[in-house]
Amino acid sequence: MSAVARLCPPPALVAIVVAVVVGGALVLVSGANPIQAYAAIVEGALAPDNLPNTLNWATPLVGMTLAAAIPLRGGMINLGGDGQMVVGGLVGAITPLLPVAGPLAATLALIAASLAGGFYAALAAWGQIRFAIPMLISSLLLSYTAVGIVSYLVRFPLRDTTTGLPQTALVPVAARLPTLAGPVNAGMLVIAAVAALVIVIDRRAVIGYELRMRGLNARFAGYGGVRLDRQALGAMFASGAIAGLVGAIVVLGGQFRFIDGALLTPAYTWSGLMAALLAGGEPVGAIAAGLFFAALQTGGFAMQRESSVPRVLTLVLQAIVILFLAMRHGLGKRSS
Amino acid sequence: MAIPELEAIGIVKRYGAVLANDHIDLSVESGEIHAVMGENGAGKSTLMSILYGLQPPDEGRILLRGVEARFGSALDAIAAGMGMVHQAFKLFASLTVWENIVFGAEPSRIVFIDRGKARREVAELARRHGLGVDPDAKVGTLSVGVRQRVEILKALYRRARILVLDEPTAVLTPQERDGLFAVMRRLAAEGRTILFVTHKLNEVMAITDRVTVLRDSKVVARMNTSETTAGEIIRAMTGRNVDLQIERGAAAPGAPLLEIERLTIGSPDGRPLVDGAAFVVRAGEIVGLAGVAGNGQSELVEALVGLRRPDAGEVRIAGASVGEADVAGHRAAGLAYIPEDRANLGAALGADAADNFAMGFQRDPPLSRSGWLDPAAMAARARALIDKFGVRTASEHGLASSLSGGNLQKMVVARELSHAAPVLVAEQPTRGVDIGATEFIHGQLVAERDKGHAVLLVSAELSEILALSDRILVMYEGRILADVPRAEASEEALGLLMAGRTAGS
Repeated sequence: MSAVARLCPPPALVAIVVAVVVGGALVLVSGANPIQAYAAIVEGALAPDNLPNTLNWATPLVGMTLAAAIPLRGGMINLGGDGQMVVGGLVGAITPLLPVAGPLAATLALIAASLAGGFYAALAAWGQIRFAIPMLISSLLLSYTAVGIVSYLVRFPLRDTTTGLPQTALVPVAARLPTLAGPVNAGMLVIAAVAALVIVIDRRAVIGYELRMRGLNARFAGYGGVRLDRQALGAMFASGAIAGLVGAIVVLGGQFRFIDGALLTPAYTWSGLMAALLAGGEPVGAIAAGLFFAALQTGGFAMQRESSVPRVLTLVLQAIVILFLAMRHGLGKRSS
Repeated sequence: MAIPELEAIGIVKRYGAVLANDHIDLSVESGEIHAVMGENGAGKSTLMSILYGLQPPDEGRILLRGVEARFGSALDAIAAGMGMVHQAFKLFASLTVWENIVFGAEPSRIVFIDRGKARREVAELARRHGLGVDPDAKVGTLSVGVRQRVEILKALYRRARILVLDEPTAVLTPQERDGLFAVMRRLAAEGRTILFVTHKLNEVMAITDRVTVLRDSKVVARMNTSETTAGEIIRAMTGRNVDLQIERGAAAPGAPLLEIERLTIGSPDGRPLVDGAAFVVRAGEIVGLAGVAGNGQSELVEALVGLRRPDAGEVRIAGASVGEADVAGHRAAGLAYIPEDRANLGAALGADAADNFAMGFQRDPPLSRSGWLDPAAMAARARALIDKFGVRTASEHGLASSLSGGNLQKMVVARELSHAAPVLVAEQPTRGVDIGATEFIHGQLVAERDKGHAVLLVSAELSEILALSDRILVMYEGRILADVPRAEASEEALGLLMAGRTAGS
């Protein structure tokens, strides 16, 4: 057994190597130089000048990874990250415009956005508990609803009439998140702190243990006296709160206003969900996968600028890594 | 000496690194009832599935009447005269008996099934073998014992000369079991050969001619039943002496700790699953709940531990009403529960032993303080229980999935007993557990009683109920038919009640 384990490199490494080889072959077939393309990706993601870009991209992506990983740890799936993020983003954009917002406007906006996202996500859990609506479906449908309503609000009642675009008014400078380096702002520190908290709770807290047991065997957790309903509400609230926080961080850290569609185009929710799925909801692995995807995606933009290879290549790489890891999972299960 | 009907020579089967059958030799004469015994995991099921063509052996040969047989599938085995009655019957509930029996081997006229001929053949077959079955009855309406006859007829219809019966008595009342034994003797007298897979000693002593005992994937003994004793067989199975008698003093029942009143659970098709059940379990007594599987015991237990909400009725634990509470509420009131389904309900197989032992204790010191776990305390607690209950595991950080069935059960029993709860519900506590672990668990249940706790023992094994209980309830079709003190209970009387016959009917 241990001899076999020693012969097998970690699956993630194998998946990445396979993806690099297959992707390289694709580049070669299309007539470009794969080594240059990969060099451009690595350079574009990790060179000192580009690292802030990567971190700035990683902040929301890792945030949405955590949002997906928390319910997943307990065997639940939150497909409504988009909606919760958009709700949080809008709340984050309008809170600083309120007269009550003083010097702590940014903090207040982040808290309000988290609460809004959290309650919106908990709605899906409540629907499952009260009416047995599967959360997988309701979280997704509620997401469409939220995206639609927020889009309406931004186009009509809350639109900044000084521009012709569907966006809210600019938030005051005092309410914006302080910049750290280049595009990187304090939001990164907030997400890093949340990530640390999630890891510590997962490893050491009673609620982390209970959620983990539920993920391994929900019937066992219920039998052991875990209150599953309350737990589902809590996990979904935490997940939605992080999604809402991500929305507000993007708004207050980079765009300074809510622009319709701007939060959804980068598909943070889905990259995050994939990262969380790859790690089965285990937070450290999920965060690592999220960071990897962020680097790959940022590197892809750079490669597209530097060479003739389109950034779709990085999406292909990402897809191969995921497919290969998923396959390894399947094979492992069968042989055991 | 005549050529054996069935011979297996040097059968080896590996699953990865695990050797499930290690050079097994088995020889069975024509007209013989031959028991294959062994504890769980000894390799019985693997051997039977190889003989029936469900999987090929890695090494070894199978000879039928001296000729080597190679089974590519169960169909080959059936064609060669093998028949198997599985533990879980493989019948169509919505079809009639004759339809089930001829299925796959229908007498046909051009493209149509010759219904008349099929019915006649089935009726004739049933009559000839003394297996009273109505060919036109829907299988879904038949009792388990009759369904088993249908399974046997199905094999006979395909001209099986060798019948494999896999734990055939597990689901039967004592009377149904006796009926099955009569059928088995008759088939053997006709020259058919029966392989009887079981772990019940008294049945082996009662009906078989010879015994082959497996232990740790090897054959450890071959005996003529008439020349051996139950003790000798147990020694062969376990490799040691086991005391089958349970030492227990008289019960001293005290205050009622578990009270059930008019408990009713409806079902979609109208007939309630549990129908107005009412009983009491007092401090310091073990009450056995007997019944053939599927008569509402599982639902009753689910309701009284909080996994299912009853439609009517009342449950009180240590005097507190817990009708609307979930499992957490029931546990808080003083309930511990050893579930029948330990792998899917009683444990998280993907978690390590320490995590499994912690469940139910995670919110209280010493395992946690103000919401934060103490991993050292969790590990220490797991180690203490592993030592005390003799759970065989490499360490407290080994996954629960690596434990054998008996050790997993010990883990669940250890955890639930360590609650020191006033009420213990033990559901099939020794199903699938080897004799050594059974002995141990029985001792623990008696110890629990002697501590003044109330124990409700739910078991389909009448021998277990009779050995442990101070009072016995019999459940039939959702109702509690009888409540008899142990001293007045006999296997025969309980068997009749389990079949739904009350005195005078």
